[in-house]
Amino acid sequence: MTARPFTLRNPTPMPGWGLSFGIMVTMLSVIVLVPMGVLLWRGFVGFGAGGMWEVVNRPRVWSALELSFRAALIASLFNLVFGVILAWVLVRYRFPGKRLIDAAVDLPFALPTAVAGIALTAIYAPNGVFGSVIQDTFGIRVAYTELGIWIALIFVGLPFVVRTVQPVIEEIDRETEEASATLGASRLRTVTHVVLPMLAPAALTGFALALARSVGEYGSVIFIAGNLPNVTEIAPLLIVIRLEEFDYDGAVAIAIAMLTISFALLLAINLIQIWSRRRMGAV
Amino acid sequence: MNIEIEEISKDFGTTAALHPVSLSIPSGTLVALLGPSGSGKTTLLRILGGLEFPTAGRVLFDGADATNLSVQDRRAGFVFQSYALFRHMTVFDNIAYGLRARPRQSRPQSAEIARRVTKLLDLIKLPDIGARYPSQLSGGQRQRVALARALAIEPRMMLLDEPFGALDAKVRRELRQGLRDIHDTTGLTSIFVTHDQEEAMELADLVVVMSMGRIEQVGKPEDIRARPKTEFVREFVSA
Amino acid sequence: MTDTLTIPSRPRAFRPATTEPTVVKGALIALCLAVLTVLLFAPLIAVFEEALRRGWAFALASLSEPDAQSAIWLTLTVAAIVVPLNAAFGIAAAWAITKFDWRGKAWVFTLIDLPFSVSPVVAGLLFVLMFGANSALGAWLVASGFPIVFAVPGIVLATLFITFPFVARELIPVMLEQGRAEEEAALTLGASGWRTFFTVTLPNIRWALLYGVLLCNARAMGEFGAVAVVSGKIRGQTTTMPLMIEMFYNEYLSVAAFTMAGVLALLAFVTLTLKTALEWRYADQLAATHRH
Repeated sequence: MTARPFTLRNPTPMPGWGLSFGIMVTMLSVIVLVPMGVLLWRGFVGFGAGGMWEVVNRPRVWSALELSFRAALIASLFNLVFGVILAWVLVRYRFPGKRLIDAAVDLPFALPTAVAGIALTAIYAPNGVFGSVIQDTFGIRVAYTELGIWIALIFVGLPFVVRTVQPVIEEIDRETEEASATLGASRLRTVTHVVLPMLAPAALTGFALALARSVGEYGSVIFIAGNLPNVTEIAPLLIVIRLEEFDYDGAVAIAIAMLTISFALLLAINLIQIWSRRRMGAV
Repeated sequence: MNIEIEEISKDFGTTAALHPVSLSIPSGTLVALLGPSGSGKTTLLRILGGLEFPTAGRVLFDGADATNLSVQDRRAGFVFQSYALFRHMTVFDNIAYGLRARPRQSRPQSAEIARRVTKLLDLIKLPDIGARYPSQLSGGQRQRVALARALAIEPRMMLLDEPFGALDAKVRRELRQGLRDIHDTTGLTSIFVTHDQEEAMELADLVVVMSMGRIEQVGKPEDIRARPKTEFVREFVSA
Repeated sequence: MTDTLTIPSRPRAFRPATTEPTVVKGALIALCLAVLTVLLFAPLIAVFEEALRRGWAFALASLSEPDAQSAIWLTLTVAAIVVPLNAAFGIAAAWAITKFDWRGKAWVFTLIDLPFSVSPVVAGLLFVLMFGANSALGAWLVASGFPIVFAVPGIVLATLFITFPFVARELIPVMLEQGRAEEEAALTLGASGWRTFFTVTLPNIRWALLYGVLLCNARAMGEFGAVAVVSGKIRGQTTTMPLMIEMFYNEYLSVAAFTMAGVLALLAFVTLTLKTALEWRYADQLAATHRH
């Protein structure tokens, strides 16, 4: 028997603590924490909160930030509703090609954003397949307007809600739905009062992920957006423009503004989550 | 309400879950459907509740054909094996669910709903748990809440699928008496499914022994014990 | 339904209590197919249609241009550096988090996820601030002939940031679920730490690891925003495939842009196919509920 002596520092015989913890902390620091720290230091210490506010508090920056968050919210709301429907269809219904569709849902994760950007632009541009039809029948331009930004962000955030909600639907106990029916509830009422509340926490998680992703999205948007200052210029693009002008303070200020708003939104969603999870208990 | 089952059969694909079975249940009886798993007892219960549709045959409630009555219109108080409580709703909201789901013209006022829920909570002897969520209840409490929720819709009968299945032996014995009491108070025709012969014998007025999708014997507990009709019944009952 | 019994009224077909009316089902399926066609399938078809507008030969010729060649080469190089580093980090983090009990675990877990909620452009900005010519460190690095920003190391760093959580996120839930018992058994049988890892842990997590690596690779090869900021877009030197697409596109070299895009779309197909195959065959060994 090779009995290993217990040490105070590591009260487990499991090996590899020093190595694994060391690699983890080193890489986390070098890749994520120190760079984030440098950004915040540059902003709050180097430039100062007052200076940053001056940069942000200009019409062009405001409208870019507003556009980024508005479009991300609209796209994520669409994805919230559509994602729940799609997850339901994929779990509960049987139809030809279902497995293909299921696999295709992840396409936005796998397809590089630049590819998505030029492809969406190609079909939604005024001379594109859908773009021309939409323009002729409704008189609406899609590409090079805010509508185009919505489309790109819907594409980018599409899989999140589907993938968080799908496993929850698979686990719903059919008896719960049957119980609702035996109590006299119509199918519609069962869905709205019993099924959807059960899906809500997962759907909200997916919504938050989609939102976080689409607020900062750059690659798929810039091709289709038109990038007109004050109209279709998103916040990440404005950071790029500031950098190209070597206005580092300006870029830092906009970046910190984006991070602040994002984290405030995600925190709010998280609090709603905790509250709704607590209500349901750990079952 | 008396229940008449006429030549009901049920196939799942090519396998027959129920061969044509017939059974007549007088009003106000507490009936046990007793049998091993796969005997068709739960299928029969679900057909009565409108959760399955029979391949052939008819169901009559008080002489009226109810075969095509939808689940929603059947007003069967169904208690599920897992209880199937709505975990995002309080106990109060769970019990009030069926009343609130009624169409506007027959829906009681909210004060009336509250009054009925309180009465039901008293009936199941858990008057103070209205504000709790199902995850905060014990197994026995959940079962009683499921019972109250089913009773709230003023059901025409009670259908219970292994109502004591998920409970430990001690709670089981307590709740048996509880179910008997509630049955006697409400006077509703009640049918419960069980695989536990002791439970069936102790609790039911009428025991229906089932095996392989057929009814082996119907009778009072003492008759079944004293005069088992088939070898299967003898063995199952003596086990 | 037998004919021997006269069933008085059968107003509608019986529908199980847990399903929707056929009309509703059909409408929902149609809606999903329509949205996915307009949003996913049509753009994908457009990529190949635009690429092949002037025929195969023309498209392939655009790929053999030196700029295109060097972009492909650079993208492969970056992925070859980033993916192993990311996998090493993922394994180390998963080991430290799942095999030991220590304070602050939840915090570290959150920090690993942090890059998911940071814009790629901001990710690029981070490294420009740290290593750009405007910072003391950056100026010194440039002076000593080892520039990071507007050079390959910067692209690698930015890509590492963007892909940071991929492998760790996949491994941690799987290893949590598998527990520590098997490793402990190996240790009691006298196996060394590394032997335990290679003969017990690694076989248990290999499919989850492959899954994470696959997603990490797809993102590493396709990253645009973060790389655009740090690369400086020097033709033939710091231009990856996604950046090359943008350049071709802005120069109205449509076929070249869409051909390059087609190559990356094919990569996406391969990723999705392998990913789906893994999900079908090894669902039990993946953190399926956390997939994305």
